[in-house]
Amino acid sequence: MVKLASAGVFLALVVIAVLIVVSSGNSGGGDSGNIVEAKEVDGLLAGIPQKGMVLGTPGAKVTVLEFGDLQCPVCKGYSEEVLPQVIENRVRSGKATLDFRNFTIIGPQSKPAGAAAIAAGEQGRGWNFVELFYRNQGTEDSGYADDEFLTAIARAAGVPDLARWNRARRSQAAIARVEATSAEAENLGFTGTPSFALEGPGTDGVEAIGTPESVDTLESAIEHAGK
Amino acid sequence: MRAPAEGTLRGIATFLATFGVGVATYIAIADSGGGSPVCIAGGHGCQTVAESSYSHLAGVNIAIFGLAGYVVLLVCALLRGDAFRMTAFVVSLIGFGYSLYLTYLELFTIDAICQWCVASAVLMTLLFVTNAVRMLGYVGTEP
Repeated sequence: MVKLASAGVFLALVVIAVLIVVSSGNSGGGDSGNIVEAKEVDGLLAGIPQKGMVLGTPGAKVTVLEFGDLQCPVCKGYSEEVLPQVIENRVRSGKATLDFRNFTIIGPQSKPAGAAAIAAGEQGRGWNFVELFYRNQGTEDSGYADDEFLTAIARAAGVPDLARWNRARRSQAAIARVEATSAEAENLGFTGTPSFALEGPGTDGVEAIGTPESVDTLESAIEHAGK
Repeated sequence: MRAPAEGTLRGIATFLATFGVGVATYIAIADSGGGSPVCIAGGHGCQTVAESSYSHLAGVNIAIFGLAGYVVLLVCALLRGDAFRMTAFVVSLIGFGYSLYLTYLELFTIDAICQWCVASAVLMTLLFVTNAVRMLGYVGTEP
């Protein structure tokens, strides 16, 4: 009986180990065949106007500029932990707009990824693309952000015309814009991502605030910029 | 210490496995409709877990595997004999071990808790205990 039970336990442990190995193979992110959290992103952004890479009601008092690299894991953290509260409290209420600008510092795929976000923005889905990219981000600069991955993100982000998006993301204009905003970030003195700048009645032009430590720090800076 | 009567253990296992079939069926149906299970207490935990990459194994919702496991456990609970005692023990041990792993993922990787998954993990734990007692107490005895 003991032998039989031991064999049973051994068999069960082997099966559990196989299940865990197969399951963890799914977990690396950057998987174009398994884009997750599209519904959450839709919920986060639903009902908020988008124009280009700007999220929020045009004419809001404060503009929050986010300089990010889609391949940057810290930006992913901000996207998941900090920005949802800012979007709910400041953007949805019409007090501020969020303007995503590429600051490509991670690797060679950052630039085409940024251009792909801009191309999605031309069809009103720029922020869906950015947020969904972050939530499905793969290992930093591992080569996951290829055409297949970008297309899967665009599709899940609800970009209506993928053929138009494909042309736009490869256009010189989109690439040039990524390069221009990266240069702008350097001019503002930024060296890492994400970095933020604010513009409003309480600021002297575009004011760089770097990388806020917490959502409260960012929110109080936005509050101050609006006064 | 004497094990409880086998009939009692089989009755408990039948009750638990039937509940398990219900829970796994609900999760599988919610997923097949393109949605996710609804957390009774509110919140987005079930949606977050259902949309995570861990909710599917080789493209198949893990609730389907869970459903298959509960059906096997139900059959083993209804039938007599060593083969069913051993099968119930091994299958419930697999279910228990994998549930532990999934609960760990919910707590530390996905950062979301789905009540339906917790319910299944509790049922599978109880089934493992019941079937372990049945196996230890009755394998080698007459059916």
